[in-house]
Amino acid sequence: MMKYNRFKAEQEVLEAKLPSNIYRFMDMNTSRPYLVMAARTNRGNVYTLRIELDMFPDSIPQVFVNKMLYDCNNNPLDTPSSTMHTLNSKNGCTQICHYGSSSWTNRVSLYKVYIKCRLWLEMYEAHLSSGKPIDYYLKHQN
Amino acid sequence: MIVYLSQEELDAFAIDRAESLLGYAYEWEGEGVVHLHTRSLTHAFGEISGCMFSKSAFCTDVVEDVRWLVFIDEGCIKVGLRVDGGIQYVGFQMIPSKENLYSRSKGILEIRVLQNKHVAIIGLGSFGSQIAIELSKSGVGEFSLVDFDRVELHNLARHTCFIKDLGRLKTDAIEEAVLGKNPYAKIHKYPLDISKNRMELETIVSHVDLVICATDNNPSRFVLSQALFDFQKIGIFGRAFTRAEGGDVFVYRPGQACYSCMVGNIGVAQEEITNEASARQNGVIPAYVSAQDADAMVQVGLSADIEPICNMMVKLALVELSKGEASGISCLEDELVYNYYLWANRRERKFTNWHVLPGAGPMPTIMRWYGAHISRREGCAICSDDEILLDIGDNLE
Ligand SMILES: [Zn+2]
Repeated sequence: MMKYNRFKAEQEVLEAKLPSNIYRFMDMNTSRPYLVMAARTNRGNVYTLRIELDMFPDSIPQVFVNKMLYDCNNNPLDTPSSTMHTLNSKNGCTQICHYGSSSWTNRVSLYKVYIKCRLWLEMYEAHLSSGKPIDYYLKHQN
Repeated sequence: MIVYLSQEELDAFAIDRAESLLGYAYEWEGEGVVHLHTRSLTHAFGEISGCMFSKSAFCTDVVEDVRWLVFIDEGCIKVGLRVDGGIQYVGFQMIPSKENLYSRSKGILEIRVLQNKHVAIIGLGSFGSQIAIELSKSGVGEFSLVDFDRVELHNLARHTCFIKDLGRLKTDAIEEAVLGKNPYAKIHKYPLDISKNRMELETIVSHVDLVICATDNNPSRFVLSQALFDFQKIGIFGRAFTRAEGGDVFVYRPGQACYSCMVGNIGVAQEEITNEASARQNGVIPAYVSAQDADAMVQVGLSADIEPICNMMVKLALVELSKGEASGISCLEDELVYNYYLWANRRERKFTNWHVLPGAGPMPTIMRWYGAHISRREGCAICSDDEILLDIGDNLE
């Protein structure tokens, strides 16, 4: 669970980098806090991301797109896939594999997580039009 | 017949108001060895039968089926074995009382100092189990043992537990091992996952003098590091690198660099993966890795490979616990001043180009410890007094 000074530091970075109406911290005083963020891709599509904060920043936060996404062959992205950088879905929502455990440290900001997920969304859309898997564009970090 | 009595228990019985009590005989079947106790042992062994402890020789008729009898009269102790309606007296030996149990270490270690020390061991795998036993051998008097896992086959080869322990909670099995070396140790058991039980962890850490951090993943170490910082407690972290090429030990002393500073300064190490299930759970093996590939990732060093790392952690713990007290280990206070120690184990991977031992002279070789000072990191996510400097991914913009 985030300490107050960490929460403040995260808020400051987000305030400085993003418009305030695209993110909101939710249920912060409960055991299941999360952050909801909107992400607009270069093609103009808007996705909602849910970043779960119960183990953040000690562990990599789970990030879900607020719906099930489908690959170019219309298969749901609901299972762990190395080529598509996804993990097990939950409640019908695709989970993005945005960080490798061996590169995770507790200094990584929510802003950086957000940027990496935005990047994933760009590559996802590139995949939809080219048919090439996401790892064709995104290198693995382990 | 070899007979053992407990000095501590007999002393307690001697001043007790009761004239007699029914105790326990633990007999190694067919081995001609028996231990007689006034109270039942937490972890029983051998064949168990009754043993009558009495302050007069007259009340023995009361309990017919008791084989063993112990009489205490005016400081004179006699041990009798019932044979064919009569009593045959046998010789016996004593398990020394608390202050004398490890009196041989006197001068080398200040036993009385350690007796009053409380150490938490978080993670009772191949590291934590060995360290717990070593510290109890050294005379540490109180332990908080923390691990939610049970003893499983996959890692038994380098764990202190035995085949007979399969399925037991590690906290129970290691409690037995610690009490086996020091029956007077106080043990508190916490079969829980520290990442999911922060409050309990904080309570544990706040009560101890030192924490051995022997978990196998960074998320749990960050959690621990935060608790150590919050309660200003000494912590000793240890781990092995992949393929047992080496390992390292980090010491957190309040006011100095924390584990998070260390990771920030030297980066995330490639650690060995010893257990597929737990590595999957904490993401060390990503979910998309197939069972076959995961199997190849799990590469476990030998017990002999991790032993030197455990040994260093134990020595550092003893030095930290005896600091400021005159003891035989004080001389190490001048040696073990670093907060980071690197152990090179094999000339592989990052140590490939190191020199072979013969004729290496001052050149770096394996089978050696290298100490370093790691300084506090500005804006550390855990111990910074000022604002936290977050990684905002400049390279992504
Ligand atoms: Zn720090």
